[in-house]
Order: sequence, then structure tokens, then C-alpha cells
Amino acid sequence: MDERICKCHFQTPVVSRLSLKIVGASGQGLDSIGEVMAKALKRSGYCVFGYREFPSLIKGGHSSNQLDISDEKIASSEVKVNIVIALNHHGLEHNLKDLKPGGILIHSTPDWKLSKEDKKLIDQLSLSIIELPIEATLRKLGAKPILGNVLLSAFIWSVFGQDIGALKKMVGEKFAKKKDLLELNMRCIEEGFMVRKEFSSLSVALPKPQKKWQKQLLITGSKAMGLGAVHAGMRLYAGYPMTPSSPLLSYVASIQNQTGIVIKQAEDEITAAQLVSGAMFMGTRALTGTSGGGFDLMSETLSLNAIIENPTVFVLAQRPGPATGLPTWTGQADLLMAIHTAHGEFTRLVMSVSDSDDAFTLMNEAFNIAEEFQISVIVLTDKQIAEALYTQEQYNLTKTKIKRGLTTDPEKLRKLKSSDRYAIDAKNGISPRWLPGSDAATYVAQGDEHGPDGSVDETAANAKAQLEKRMKKMEALKSVLPEPELFGSQEPETLLVGWGSTKSVVLDAMKNLSPSVGYLHYTRLWPLKTATFTKLAKSAKKIILIEGNYHGQLGQLLKQETGVDIKDKILKYDGRPFFYDELLKLISDCI
Amino acid sequence: MSIPLQTSAPTMKDYHSQNQSTWCDGCGDYGIWAAIKQALVELKIPPTQTLLCYDVGCHGNMSDKLLGYRFHGLHGRVLPFAAGAKIANPKLPVIAFGGDGASFSEGIGHLVHAVRSHYPIVFVLHNNGNYGLTQGQASSLTPQNQPMNTAPNSIPEGTLNSMDFIFSLEPTFVARGFSGDIKQLKEILKTAISHRGFAFVDVLQACPTYNHFATHTMLMQKCYKVEDENHDSSDFVKARKLAVDTGKRIATGILYRNENVPNFIERLVPRQGKTTTPVEEVQTFDVSKLMEEFI
Repeated sequence: MDERICKCHFQTPVVSRLSLKIVGASGQGLDSIGEVMAKALKRSGYCVFGYREFPSLIKGGHSSNQLDISDEKIASSEVKVNIVIALNHHGLEHNLKDLKPGGILIHSTPDWKLSKEDKKLIDQLSLSIIELPIEATLRKLGAKPILGNVLLSAFIWSVFGQDIGALKKMVGEKFAKKKDLLELNMRCIEEGFMVRKEFSSLSVALPKPQKKWQKQLLITGSKAMGLGAVHAGMRLYAGYPMTPSSPLLSYVASIQNQTGIVIKQAEDEITAAQLVSGAMFMGTRALTGTSGGGFDLMSETLSLNAIIENPTVFVLAQRPGPATGLPTWTGQADLLMAIHTAHGEFTRLVMSVSDSDDAFTLMNEAFNIAEEFQISVIVLTDKQIAEALYTQEQYNLTKTKIKRGLTTDPEKLRKLKSSDRYAIDAKNGISPRWLPGSDAATYVAQGDEHGPDGSVDETAANAKAQLEKRMKKMEALKSVLPEPELFGSQEPETLLVGWGSTKSVVLDAMKNLSPSVGYLHYTRLWPLKTATFTKLAKSAKKIILIEGNYHGQLGQLLKQETGVDIKDKILKYDGRPFFYDELLKLISDCI
Repeated sequence: MSIPLQTSAPTMKDYHSQNQSTWCDGCGDYGIWAAIKQALVELKIPPTQTLLCYDVGCHGNMSDKLLGYRFHGLHGRVLPFAAGAKIANPKLPVIAFGGDGASFSEGIGHLVHAVRSHYPIVFVLHNNGNYGLTQGQASSLTPQNQPMNTAPNSIPEGTLNSMDFIFSLEPTFVARGFSGDIKQLKEILKTAISHRGFAFVDVLQACPTYNHFATHTMLMQKCYKVEDENHDSSDFVKARKLAVDTGKRIATGILYRNENVPNFIERLVPRQGKTTTPVEEVQTFDVSKLMEEFI
């Protein structure tokens, strides 16, 4: 299977891309090599996509940091890579099979004995195994082992035929504040270039650089989301650490002094959800993020906010469960939970980001809808988006409009009655909301079923009327939500359907597929818009569902809402994202 | 957004709700209800300028028996909601109310961290020694040998010493009131509302329907005022001893108070020197400088 993927890829080189995988133990500095190389490549004119795999521990284990590089837009990883850099001998043991034919493995383990099978594989695939004298070189320079990473980076940089100055500038910025380290780093770069001369036949040609990438951002989905939330006026973030939502908490915490936002690391997820609910109730914009287990704890608060009609935004960063499951891996298995969790029937919006672009823009949309409809909005992301490094156009900051749906005009406030707050006859069920502290009639945000002013009212007529008032918002919300976006063919013979992080890899794969393929991408997942899907499903010869879960959860929703049962499914639930070459083959096989 | 202030001083009438009370005759909640309204009126806080947050239990039925901006939330969870509200708009006094059932069982984690976080809010504990609203089950403050609903043979668990527990968290304000002494309770609440950080106000109250071990009469006989005995409320050790020692007599009044400890908001580095509240700061924030690190 693997071989066929490679051939398949090489036979259709529509997009020229290559990949570099750095493997080693957590704590060996893979991420710093990855970061330096990624940024240096982007600044030199390449689109870079970074992907990390790591076990749930701080030191040791076998981790990887992979960069996929192209002159065109890419946002996915390949299973088979061009170069492996092994920071320890585990790379020699485990990662030879990750190489494409003609691939290169670079290591620094002296006297490593290759097994018979390995030798056979090396022969078959014409692999090059390069041993670098890193230890000896570092000894010569009097540098610590961690600087081996700089040496390696410089070596690769030279193999790529890139200019030494660009790399020096990059590393110079990183160590600008540590002058003593800076000099040693520079010498390591020079030494890396020197060592390279001993391997003069070794060279990997990169495609022609494109200027457009140079000024773009290199950003993870988590940081994009944090920036988006701050841009949208978020003034408080409360959270409890849980991968893969922790990078969002860490990022917003790291920018608190520049932004003046309040960060609260709560004692548990219930607290985080309640804090944020209280802050939103008082009238600021506040956010919390968690993963599946933490979201389970937040569900009671979700239900509370429904009855008091308090706007809130929750980020649910998915990883595979049940229970602790696979803490540092990815999945899309919490869609139905996001839609169904919490007791009682009520209106909510469930949406999912798919990359660093909408991770930024959807944050304001989430807050706007939460506030205008006085509902909770659940924004799904996953470990893939949270940790992946995207090459991203600079965000347009002029388009953002904050919509709060609040009554703030003093004249209007004075005219309000307490019974306006939860008025049953409000248009679309959306009654006036005004903030505590306003010079107006007061009300109670009541967790018990209540009448229009929030006073407890358990009568049958009131219970029915209030529930219907809150449910009316569902239809109103559905009517303002856009239909899912269609990529590729606008009259597809083969219709791919997916959501979330799958988008990037599907779009990358589609460049190599027939132009009759279309991809329908769902961003807003509940309430579900079905007109486009129903129309396309009628004319498509084949529909393929692509999801990172066992049940094909979006497929289940589509069947429930439209009756259309998607027969062909590409489902993955092993904690790994879809890889470019893998998905390309899976789709091709299906068609 | 500017929040206009009401200028004329509020009266008890301004807090009056038309809704009829649903508590049992003789319930201690009546006294607390009266005291809180009086305290707010005497502090000249109009109903539009306060947020009263209620937990779930008998006390929570106060939420629609007075006016003011109010919130009635989930069992045990009132403190983090109140804290979030206060951080969002520190200009508004925020008072949270909870019973001994929720606060020392389902919500005990929130209580620990609210004291530790030193949020500038008041917490009024309606302490009637049992779960009233669910019909007389034992709370963790009910005496161990007391038969209760669901525990006809008395509960096997030990009893939590609530005051010793609270003092172990190094609080900066601890007071004890009695629902039968509205005048003293009102004064306690006024001081608590003015406190710099987290104010814990334990209010002993009767539950005439389910609590037959600490009745109104018994409380009336045992309670004494520490202000009558020249108690020094800055003495932490003495205060703790007074609070815990309830065998013969029960000390009421402000037991401990320390105004020298900065509260949660004062400790936030990014909020230093800010004259606006997070509520007032909601607008698009220019992140172009922050984007630079990613280029």
C-alpha cells in the first residue's frame, strides 16, 4: 500500500511539495529546530505546514516534528517524507520506513549497525544514510549538546541550497537577548555549512520560491484563535489546563500584559465555565476552552445559560476519548456531544474551525451570535488545528464588526420594564438584554423556570410559553447561518463532505483529483443547513463522507435531517489526522 | 458604555418585590432577607447598582422576593459565577448567597478557591445545618449522631467543622451572624460589603421544619456578641478560637478582619492603573502588533 501511495504521488506532481521530519525524544529540542527551519523557509518564500506528534509526557518518548514545504498553498502532511533527521537512535530504528524512494536519513549515532531488513529497504528505495559528526564538532566548539540542533539545521539549510545569511538572521532574532549564546549559535551555523561540504553530492532541490509567502504569518490554530478572541473584544479568559486546549490558555496568558486581559486559571472546568458565564452576564466578553472531559463538566453550566439566556462561548478542543483516551492526539469524535450534551431542550450554535484562518475570524462571529441570540456557542477545534503550524495570510483587521444585541441607550433603558427581559412575545424569541448596573428596571436571571421578569413561575402555560420562546431562536438562528461552502466543482459528480481540520488536507488532495470532484465543507454544524447538500446529493454520482470519528457523525446528522444516507465513508479514529498522500489514495480508491 | 448612576438615596421600598414569600413560618431566611435589604439601603446602594447571586436551596428562593439585579444559578456553583461577574465590573458590589448543604458539599471546592483567590465579593452562608429544600437530609455540617431524612439511623459520616476549615484557608474577613438578630446582621453585612477582599459571613439560622437540634430558641440562648466583650477582630488566633468554640456559647459579630491584603483584582498585573472595567473595554482590539511575532 505504501509503495502505491508513493507512486501515486510521484505520478501526479501537480503540486511540488517535499517534507522533512525531525524525530527524537521530547525535550531534545525538535520543536526548536522545527520552529527555526519553518520560519526561515517561509521567509525565503515557501509555504510551510508544521505537524507535531508527541506522547503525553515531558521528557523521553518518541516525538516528531514534520515540515511540509511547497511553493503553493499547502496545509497538510505526508506519511512518506523526503528527509528524516534522527536526533537519537530511535529514529534509525523506527523511521527508515517513513522515507520516500530516494529519501535521506540524517543522524549522529556513531557505529550504528543496520539490520538486514533495513539494509534491504535502503537498497530497494535507494535511501541515503548520512552520519554527521555532531558530537565531535560540538566538542571542538565547546558547545552544549542542545546546540547540535543548530548544527543540524544549518546542515539541512545548506542541503536545501539556501543562503547562510537568512538562517543567521533567523537565529540571531531568536537569541537577540542572549549575546553569549548568540555567538556560539553563529559558529554552529558556520560549522554546519562546513560539514556539508564533505557531502557535496547530497542536495535536495526546493521549488522556486514565491515572494507572497515571505510576509505571511506562521501560526498555530491555537494562537490564531487567541488572537481572534482578543481582536473580538474578549477581556477575560478562564480555563483549566487540558490538552489540546492548553496552548490557547498559554497563548492568551502570554499576551495579557500587552492586552490588559484578565487570565484566570480556574480550579476546575466547572469553575472556568461559571466564571466566564458570570463575566458575560455582567457584560464583558469572556471565553473558556477545554477538551472533552472538561467539557463534560461544563455541560451543566451550558444548560444554566440556556434558561437564563446568557450568551457564552466555549472552545471545545477535541482529542480521542473515552476518558483520558489519547491526550496528545487528534480526532473529531465530539461533534454529537457538543450538539446534545446538557440537560433540557434549548437553542445552541455548534461551529467548528478548520484552520488558522477561520480560527481567527470565527471567534468574533461566535461572540456576535452568542450575544445577539443570547445563546451558548460551542466552537470546536482539535489537536491537529491547535498544534499545527500554518502559513497564513495576515489577518484583515478592518472587517471585524462587534454586534452585541444590548440595550444601552439611556432613554430606551429607562422605558424598560422588568418583564421585558424574558418577554414571551419577543420577535424570534430574542427579548431585550440589558446589563447589571444599567439605570433601568431590574430583573432576575433565574435558573428555575420563570415568567417574563425572571420570577419563578411553574404554571403549565408559562412553562410551555417560555420553552417555546427559547426554541424560537433556533429557527431565527438557522435562517441567518450561511450554507456550507462548496470547493472545487460547483456541479460535482463526486461530492466529498466533511468538517473541521479535514478541510485543509481534502483541499490539498483535490489538486490531484479530477475537476469533477467537489468538497462541501461544514463550518456551522448545528443547527444544520441542508439545502445545498440536498441539491448536490441529487445530482452527484457518488458522495463520500470524510470524518475523524467512528460513526461518521456529520453523516448521521445529515441522514437525520435530510434522509440521505451517505454510503461511502472514509473514517479515521486512530488519533492521527488524515495525511495528504494517505487521503489522496483513499479518495482515489473510492472514486 | 457609560452606566448612569441613580442619584437619590434608595429606600426599603426600592427593594420591595410583589412576589409572596414561600419560606416556612419561622424560617431564618426572613431575618437574612430583611438584613440584606437594610444593609444595602443604609449603604445607599440602589437596586440598579448591585448584583445579588443565589445558589440553589431554600435561601435561593429569595432571588425573586426582592429587587436589584439578581442571579439564581446552580447548586453549589454560585461563587465562581459571582467572581466572574465581579471581575468583569468591579464597580458593582457583588453578594453571593449559599446554604450549608451546597457550600460544604458540592460547592466546597469553589469555596476553598474563592477564599484563596481573595475575590472582592461577599459570601453569605445561610447555615441551617441541613438540606431544607430537598426535605431535611443531612448536610456535612449536621451533627453526626442526628437522624435525618435518608439517614434514619443518623449519618455515618463525621461532621465538618466549618469555621475551623474556613480559618485554615487564611481568610481576611470572617463574621458570624444570627438570623434572629437582624440589627447586628445588618451591621455585619455593611462591613462585609465594604471589605477589600473575600468576606465570609456565616449566618446561623433556624429551620423550623427539619432542624430540631439547633432551634431558634437554642440559638437565641447561646449566641453572644463579641463586640460586647471587646474582641480584637485583628487577632487571627483568638478569632479562630472564638469561632470554633461553640460548646457553651456561640460568638457572633465580626470575628476577624484584615484590610491589608490586596484582593484578586488588585493583584492582576495587566489591570494595574486601568480606570475602565472589562465590561467597558469590549471593542475590537488592534492585534497588528501581536501579529508581528509570527512573520
